Amino acid sequence: MPKPTFTIQDLWKAAHFTPNRAQKAAIRHVSGPLYLPAGPGSGKTRVLLWRALNLIVFHEVPPDDIYLSTFTEKAALQLKEGLQALLGHASNFTHQPYDLTHMYIGTVHSLCQRILTDRRFSADRERARPPRLLDELGQYFRLYRARNWDDLTQAAGFNDDASSVVNAFFLPARESASRHSAVSSTIDLFNRLSEECIEPAQAQATLADADLSLLEYLASHSIDPTGLGLLLSLYDTYKQSLRLDRGLSLTDFSLLQQDASRALAAFQAAGRVFQYVIVDEYQDTNTIQERLFFQLASGHKNLCVVGDDDQALYRFRGATVENFVTFPQRCVANLGVEPTVIPLEKNYRSRKRIVDFYGRFMDCCDWTAPAGPYRVTKRISPVRKDRQPSVIASTPGHPDDVCREIAALVRRLIDEGKVQDPNQIAFLFPSVKFRGEMNVQVGRMKEALEDPEIDLKVYAPRAGRFLDVDEPLAMFGVFVQVFEPSPGSGRWRGDYAKFYRWIARAKERAADLMERDAHLERFVQDRKAELVALVSDYRALHRVLERHRWSLSDSYDPGRHKRALHDAAGLSDRAKRLLLSTHFERFAQRRLQAGHPIPLAYVLNRATSLDWNVLDLFYRICGFSHFASMFTLAETASDEGPICNLGLITQYLVRFVDEYVNVISADLLLEDRFQHIFFGSYLYALYRLAESEYEDAEDPFPKGRIPFLTIHQSKGLEFPIVVLANPRKTDRGPQQVEKIVRPLLQRDPGEPLDRLAEFDIMRLFYVALSRPKNLLVIAHFKGRGQSVHPGIRGLLDDHFPRIPDLDLSTLPPASVTDERLPTPYSYTADFLKYKQCPREYMIFRKYGFESSRSQTMFFGTLVHRTLEDLHNHLISSRTQP
Amino acid sequence: MTSDDAQIQEFIRDTFEQNYELLRLEGAGALSQDVRETALQQALFYWRKLRDIAESVTDTEVKLTLPGQTTPAGREFSIYGVVDIVREDTRTLMYDIKTHDADYVRAYDGLYEQQLNVYAHIWQELRDEPLDGAAVIATNLPERLREAIDSGDEQRTQHQLDLWQPVVQIPYDATRVQASVDEFAEVVDAIEDGEFAPRPVEELRARLEPRRTLFATRICRTCDARFSCQSYRQYALEGRGSSELVFREYFSDPGPDLEQENWRTANLLTARPAEELEGDLAG
Repeated sequence: MPKPTFTIQDLWKAAHFTPNRAQKAAIRHVSGPLYLPAGPGSGKTRVLLWRALNLIVFHEVPPDDIYLSTFTEKAALQLKEGLQALLGHASNFTHQPYDLTHMYIGTVHSLCQRILTDRRFSADRERARPPRLLDELGQYFRLYRARNWDDLTQAAGFNDDASSVVNAFFLPARESASRHSAVSSTIDLFNRLSEECIEPAQAQATLADADLSLLEYLASHSIDPTGLGLLLSLYDTYKQSLRLDRGLSLTDFSLLQQDASRALAAFQAAGRVFQYVIVDEYQDTNTIQERLFFQLASGHKNLCVVGDDDQALYRFRGATVENFVTFPQRCVANLGVEPTVIPLEKNYRSRKRIVDFYGRFMDCCDWTAPAGPYRVTKRISPVRKDRQPSVIASTPGHPDDVCREIAALVRRLIDEGKVQDPNQIAFLFPSVKFRGEMNVQVGRMKEALEDPEIDLKVYAPRAGRFLDVDEPLAMFGVFVQVFEPSPGSGRWRGDYAKFYRWIARAKERAADLMERDAHLERFVQDRKAELVALVSDYRALHRVLERHRWSLSDSYDPGRHKRALHDAAGLSDRAKRLLLSTHFERFAQRRLQAGHPIPLAYVLNRATSLDWNVLDLFYRICGFSHFASMFTLAETASDEGPICNLGLITQYLVRFVDEYVNVISADLLLEDRFQHIFFGSYLYALYRLAESEYEDAEDPFPKGRIPFLTIHQSKGLEFPIVVLANPRKTDRGPQQVEKIVRPLLQRDPGEPLDRLAEFDIMRLFYVALSRPKNLLVIAHFKGRGQSVHPGIRGLLDDHFPRIPDLDLSTLPPASVTDERLPTPYSYTADFLKYKQCPREYMIFRKYGFESSRSQTMFFGTLVHRTLEDLHNHLISSRTQP
Repeated sequence: MTSDDAQIQEFIRDTFEQNYELLRLEGAGALSQDVRETALQQALFYWRKLRDIAESVTDTEVKLTLPGQTTPAGREFSIYGVVDIVREDTRTLMYDIKTHDADYVRAYDGLYEQQLNVYAHIWQELRDEPLDGAAVIATNLPERLREAIDSGDEQRTQHQLDLWQPVVQIPYDATRVQASVDEFAEVVDAIEDGEFAPRPVEELRARLEPRRTLFATRICRTCDARFSCQSYRQYALEGRGSSELVFREYFSDPGPDLEQENWRTANLLTARPAEELEGDLAG
């Protein structure tokens, strides 16, 4: 291949990019390990993309030989789209394609899954059968299932009351027999053990040989050694239970990485498959991920890591910030080479005073450690040098007054055009809910903004329980009206009683809608009648079976059975039609001829099945005016909040349809089984899990709404204006799971246990303070029972600019397009889809509704990938002797 | 069916299952059993009908990108698409495989022509590669073929398979690239500006050649979101009065018959028994 006749500078020019000296050095670095400690807003992702481009275009590295990973789906998509866009510029010069279809570019988890099926990682080039992945909810249900939980705990040596024993271990002070609580705590522990690569046998041995200091440690942290022994044994049993018959296996997100690491260890040349291994957000790696990255880079030693230890927020997922802070030493120990160090410290995002503020904030904590500091020293210098105030605090006061003052400011910012849409002003909170309910401070702020005088709308689907938000409440309310679930007899307490109060509220909400919409009322009555008719048909058919002494498991022979079933007394015309359908007749005959006849049970289910599943029901309900108006709002881009919430509901429903019940047949309606499964179990689990607020929920920022986010959710994002709406987070010491895992660690434990929470809170606020581009507003609470994080309070002295002092004319307006990479649009998935129907495009492509019957992107991609594999297979069988 | 053929079919099934699992991991959601089977059927019948093309593809899933575009409103964007290439001794052909319906492609060939104009431009001008012809391969099986497959009558299936014309030749004209790109740019602005009103009802009444099916039947009736669509509602209820019966029918239309039959058959077959579900989820 001829050397390009142009340079990377030509491409920078074409892409309007002017890198600074450090960025240039990082982009041009091609040999050996590279360590890039990067401050907020330092353009690190851009640097990674250009570095990958430099390798592909100017060093002829095939894209397939580069491994580029990050931690969230959203970030992974940005990397892929960004690289594609930049390579597009290169194609203009080279007239050459750069095909990224097979490049390893994605989240660590998705890349692990690929490693497990990639022929390049197997000696005989056979593609292995990948384990089926249990996602978080899947893992929960696998353990929560009564039968499984009993089997597993008994095999592990628990007595009958395993849930109480587990709860007593995790929360010694609170007695509880709740299986939900036991399973949730158990999963947290299992995942940590997997991420730390702690083998149960090894840990059991450590415990069996416990010396005095270990026993003292356990006693001082109220950790019962017997309970710990049982849980380790349960972990072992759980892992074994994932191995199924016929070479099939299951895995969870944490164990998937161990599977991949084992596959690499088993294949000698694994370290030479990728010439370059590049990892973004490296401060978020955990022990098993670090091991994977060193394994992948062991051959060529070209491991490049980028990150910011000050933004390490994922300790609860096993992230070990030391992996990043001491990367140079670890690199020497694992790869035998010292990395080149290039700090990226120029900040392109925020105005000067914002950068100064968070710098001073971090300095108020003592980071010194016996062997080098717990933090990478950095000197962040802002590119935007204007000295006008860009950090302001509210007038110190009672939270109600503070919220009113901030709400009025936000109104002014919008009215005076300092932002183009309310969604450019983000409100950040350390947490938005407490035990499933909306956090008090979040509620206050929301109320102030939604006060009729201010008249703004907030988008906070995860503050509190999503199911409590009006759209899901109203939608599921209609479901409740149709299916009429009941909690069963008895006096219920706790979560279950609370859940049925939610059911009652939802029902009431729907009753209100039905009263105002006669069509909806009729629709619900029709559906109810349909359910009754179905059950009656089922009974009629069942009587025929009884009369003829046929059993449900008998094979269906149309010649023998059809007429009798059809003539069942009282059978509806609809059921008769379904029994006589030619499609069904042929299907039954085909199965009979092929020696796989269908059982009579199938025939009964078929004749008594609804035409719709829960997702279909959702889409029909959307046709009634209350819900239809939400679509109309979105079609004209005036308020996207409601449609985003409807979209989230489809994600819950599609999961139910996919894993539990698709076609609803009468056998499921007998004895309210369906009601138990859908409401009493599935929705109840969602209600109780109420998603952890740390989840990487990639919620949209709908137009027309002020987004309320947790600081965790805001990571990696930037906003023209940020309000730190609750600058308080109490140090309650380390999480219980940290204490449990610490003596079992196979590595240097790093930061001292008693300072973990302090450091984590500092990093949390650092992330919040470094998000704004133009203005940072801090709520300053004062008075009885109120407090502000001491590091922040110390900076809010008497001379600090307050909201009333802010001269809005000094505030630059938000720009939409700066720093944005060109957006790639697909001819088929965007242009043609939009041309076919803009509304369908909006619902399925823009708001990501899960479809029930419509053909989606997933369908197209699945067919394309399969045909691509077919073509490749044919090509390689042509070229191989 | 030769043993080689059986092997390939087995390969298609296997790779299809694996891709399904991988895509789910990439956050693609889920497809129900019947839809999954429809997708698999498309792949299998592609092989059966178009084996000659499949065996002559030399470059598969080639990504084409047209970078550096700007919309009238000043937004930067790039256009991408994926094609398959057949290089023979004397000529090079470009195929764009789509899971669309061949009739729809023929009815709206203008749109597809624009698309292939742009692809051809990228291929010839930016990449400096030769090109002698371009076509869309529409893998969606025609209804009559699906009915024939459903009947289990192999002769009838073969007959319908012979009648199926999935390859739609598309003439392209490099001089019209700019107009196509301009139209694309307008769509980008419309998307970014949030213009998502449905097609007006008159367009739903348009008929698609060659079978003269209505747009509303071919496209809208398979769309989950049709119940909340103003245009579709107007189309469906128009001239039928506002009686209760009409409304009821409107809200209980499960969509095309064959799809509905397949949905019921396939999903009931893989349904888990009620006892197992209860055991799974019992609280």
